[in-house]
Amino acid sequence: MFYNRYRKKTEGVIRFFDLSSPITKIVTVLIFVACIIMLLISIFPAIWVFLASFKDIAEFRKSATILPSDFDFSKYTKTWNELKFTRYYINSFISVTGSVVCAIIFNGLLAYVLGVLKPKGHKIVFTLVMWSLLIPPTTSIVALYVNINKIGLNQSFLPLWLAMGANAFWVVLFKQYFESLPKEYIEAARLDGCNDFQIFLKIIMPLSKPIIAVVTIFAVTAAWSDFLLPFLVLAGTDKETVMVRLFEFRTASKSTDVDVLRAIAFSIIPPTIVFALFQKQITKGIGAGGIKG
Amino acid sequence: MLPSILLFAFFVWAPLFENIRLSLYDAQGIRTIKFVGFENYIRVFSHPSFWPAFRNTFYYIFWSLLLGFWIPIIIASLITETLYFKGLFRVGVYFPNILPGLASVMLWGFFFRPGKTGVLNILLDKIGIEPFTWLTTPGWTIPLIVLTLTWKAAGSTALIYMAAISNINQDLYEAATIDGASPFKRFLHIMLPSILSLGKTLLILQIIAVFQILYEPLVMTNGGPNNASISIMQLVYKYAFQDYNYPMAAALSVLICIVLVALTLLYFKVTKNVDDAN
Repeated sequence: MFYNRYRKKTEGVIRFFDLSSPITKIVTVLIFVACIIMLLISIFPAIWVFLASFKDIAEFRKSATILPSDFDFSKYTKTWNELKFTRYYINSFISVTGSVVCAIIFNGLLAYVLGVLKPKGHKIVFTLVMWSLLIPPTTSIVALYVNINKIGLNQSFLPLWLAMGANAFWVVLFKQYFESLPKEYIEAARLDGCNDFQIFLKIIMPLSKPIIAVVTIFAVTAAWSDFLLPFLVLAGTDKETVMVRLFEFRTASKSTDVDVLRAIAFSIIPPTIVFALFQKQITKGIGAGGIKG
Repeated sequence: MLPSILLFAFFVWAPLFENIRLSLYDAQGIRTIKFVGFENYIRVFSHPSFWPAFRNTFYYIFWSLLLGFWIPIIIASLITETLYFKGLFRVGVYFPNILPGLASVMLWGFFFRPGKTGVLNILLDKIGIEPFTWLTTPGWTIPLIVLTLTWKAAGSTALIYMAAISNINQDLYEAATIDGASPFKRFLHIMLPSILSLGKTLLILQIIAVFQILYEPLVMTNGGPNNASISIMQLVYKYAFQDYNYPMAAALSVLICIVLVALTLLYFKVTKNVDDAN
């Protein structure tokens, strides 16, 4: 029965012996129902996008129903081709791949120096890094954009990739992990004649797969979702990413609602797949890290 | 090490200084022309959209304290008390978090659409309620924007709270039960205080996040109706990328930074107190 599992409950306030009271019995059922409602609220909008994008524009304007009249995948492929989404996907993948590589190498290197090598002045650098963790990047977007223009890096993926290499949160994640690695390995490698960089590549990195996985997942979703900097740097070029294209729907008058909906659907499919594959690592990382990603 | 520091310098630290420099100059496009002192600041203060944006910031903070702060706590406590599909619930409420911010904002735009085809109005119609105008009603705009933000972010905050809840010493519950405390009292006196001590730090992080609200009003309402939802960050965006007045945008950014630094100092003070208490 429903209540049997409460015998083993060790977390939270309600325990098995509380169930002798009928009110508590009702409350536990209500809590369960509330959880189902929360789940529905959380996932319904995403499901609705897929359902509604099967409608055509006439049906979308007229009918006030949730379910479409039929499920015709050819409409999807038509929108995909008309909006040339293959190109935006490729651009986004280029942007995401470069971002992940930069995120791991540059943040990892900095964390390695701050957490393992600890040269003179590492504390000052770490304090500066921590401060940038608390100052939101959006406030510096204007000056960053001006600077990028000055050195002629606009209309290229390079600033987007490199920007991911300067993320204080990931530096902290890496640093905490590196500090937990046994020092003996590093000492042994040094005796074998490895220099600092070789130690990083051959000892630290292979030992740090779990944290690399976490940062990779964060970097993939961050790079895929990022739109302000890509919009400023890439808009109007042939390097526009999926998010930049999506933002341009705001001003484009030619596109119909259904096209917008399908574009939204295209933009949420990849992160949903990544989430479905790695949900355990993601939810664990959030709980353990204690800071929002 | 050096390349990473250079990246931080270019992407994080240099823009801060560039902001300050830019805000003191007159400029054409991105070329600075002459030093004008604090003139840009005065122009920001006398701009017709500044005070609405300033006032809205407080509304945003108010509503995100009301909705954004309590909803994750409610989610975390409810999921802790269920035993069936717990994993599914955890993953489910976290799911909105991985959706791209822009996509989820545009998505909610469809939900809040006024008239018969708005999704929420379709749902209201099913239970026999007249269509509502949602975002075009000035008083509702900010609460609804905060609600979508909360919808997106609550799951990850709730996971942090759940981690904290499972760290509570189980003996406390037993002791309270022996003393005759009802489940509700146990919640009020054991679980809630431990959540709130963590909540204090998350609260300040949340206020800092409120200052960064940009896409939601930009995409959903474009700051309207009649500046009722314009956010301070959106004003920066407007100065810089619609009026191409970079110095004014920089001046406003500097002002936001000063406020945030003050809040950050407060944050350090509060977290330090929490650490001391522990």
